[in-house]
Amino acid sequence: MNKLILGRYLPGDSIIYRLDPRGKFLITFYFIGIVFLANNVASYGFLLLFVLFSVYISKINLGFFIKGLRPMLWLILFTVLLQLFFTPSNDPIWHWGILTLSTDGMRIAAYIFIRFVLIIFISTLLTLTTTPIEISDSIESILKPLKVIKFPVTQVALMLSIALRFVPLLIDETTKIMDAQRARGVDFGEGGVMQRIKSFVPILIPLFVSSFSIAYDLAIAMESRGYKDGEGRSKYRVLSWARRDNVALGVMILITIILLFIRSY
Amino acid sequence: MEKIISIKDVTYTYPESKQPAINNLSLDIYRNEWVSIVGRNGSGKSTLAKLIDGLIESESGTIFVDGQEVNEENIWNIRSKIGIVFQNPDHQFVGATVEDDVAFGLENQGVPRDEMVKEVDDALKMVDMQDYKTRDPQSLSGGQKQRVAIAGVLATKPSIIIMDESTSMLDPNGRKTVLDLVKQLRDQQDMTIISITHDIEETELSERIVVLRSGEVVKEADPKAIYDMGSELTKYGLEEPFSSQVASLLKDGIKLPEGYLNEEELIENIWKLSSKM
Repeated sequence: MNKLILGRYLPGDSIIYRLDPRGKFLITFYFIGIVFLANNVASYGFLLLFVLFSVYISKINLGFFIKGLRPMLWLILFTVLLQLFFTPSNDPIWHWGILTLSTDGMRIAAYIFIRFVLIIFISTLLTLTTTPIEISDSIESILKPLKVIKFPVTQVALMLSIALRFVPLLIDETTKIMDAQRARGVDFGEGGVMQRIKSFVPILIPLFVSSFSIAYDLAIAMESRGYKDGEGRSKYRVLSWARRDNVALGVMILITIILLFIRSY
Repeated sequence: MEKIISIKDVTYTYPESKQPAINNLSLDIYRNEWVSIVGRNGSGKSTLAKLIDGLIESESGTIFVDGQEVNEENIWNIRSKIGIVFQNPDHQFVGATVEDDVAFGLENQGVPRDEMVKEVDDALKMVDMQDYKTRDPQSLSGGQKQRVAIAGVLATKPSIIIMDESTSMLDPNGRKTVLDLVKQLRDQQDMTIISITHDIEETELSERIVVLRSGEVVKEADPKAIYDMGSELTKYGLEEPFSSQVASLLKDGIKLPEGYLNEEELIENIWKLSSKM
């Protein structure tokens, strides 16, 4: 569980940490969008420089971002190899059956690789510097317009934050159940893939049952503290949009303009 | 004395069971009183707490809380007067951080934010957890989590606090801090406390003990009178207090005053013995 860097918060303090989570959230998705506008060495290089600069000012060790690539490694390799050997070309360097290796293919494979790195680095930057609860707050505030069509935004946000809050508790619960089964002689590391998958069924069932009982307890506790239906509530945590957030948006506009310029160059 | 809770002829049966969990029960609780409700598992203690807070609806009988009947109409009003601290500290922590959790009840009442910030700080100060304001629940001990739960309850300024086995999952240290806190809160503020517990020693702090069995009140007296029953306590599924066990063993050889002695009083009586002999 600890190896999964993508989606984990790392306590720290820097300008990136202090940015408004709503801004960070939107900027991250916007950036992932404009990554697809890049079409040549200069534009990819420019975006890579921007991402590395953001990593630098976040004061987080680059190692964390490289570790973030690891869970995606197979997907990246697969896609890159696919591009490398299956890009059709008129003057291949090497040719065997359906496999073709060409300079075009190599270039596209390199672009794809950088595209992966850019997207993973920027989203890792978001999750490393933003607590889950801030992310759920920003989702709530971004979805707010949906209230017009009666979408239960506040309820969904509360559900999200409770879900996040209970992840560690359920992990504890899983460990407890696994220990109880181990004590009775179950070996989770033994056997083939099928065998291992099978040995997880006796964990899932008690886990399911205990999450229901936790949910029941929590519902009673919430109701006793006066939770009705999510309407008429005030909010304790507030997000504040500061000047630096405007600056960050400005930087994004600038990046887009430069990117469009390099692209058509 | 003014009644704050008045339960009259209440019966409640869980949908999946035949026997009523609460059977024609009547009980009055007075303002500023500390009442312990004891009894073995399934005697209806927690069910009673849920009935008082309107979390479940009684089949028959009436419950009045602070002059208002517990019904559909008054329920939110009544819930704002009652704070419940439950057994499992992990299953009642709603917020992502300590301050968020304390604010939950206030948010539900729609309290404006500026006021909320002040109330949260005050409540955390009362339970001596202000240094943990921004911490997440995983980094707290069981006793600390229960103190946060109490702060969450105090923030909404209830007049009744129900402790539903709130100390049963804590280690002796955590239990002591929580009980000391409740005692101190009661001394400082006008508060009625109902503590539901298995542990008879915990009840020493209260003014009246109500013993439940199969959903009925079988005994109701002050702690001294209850402890005086000695080994008879086991009839109600309760353990005899340690000091009274020791006293009954000693009674053959040495003279001890009649009636229940707590640990300190017992020691007080024993240590002088050898000088007299």
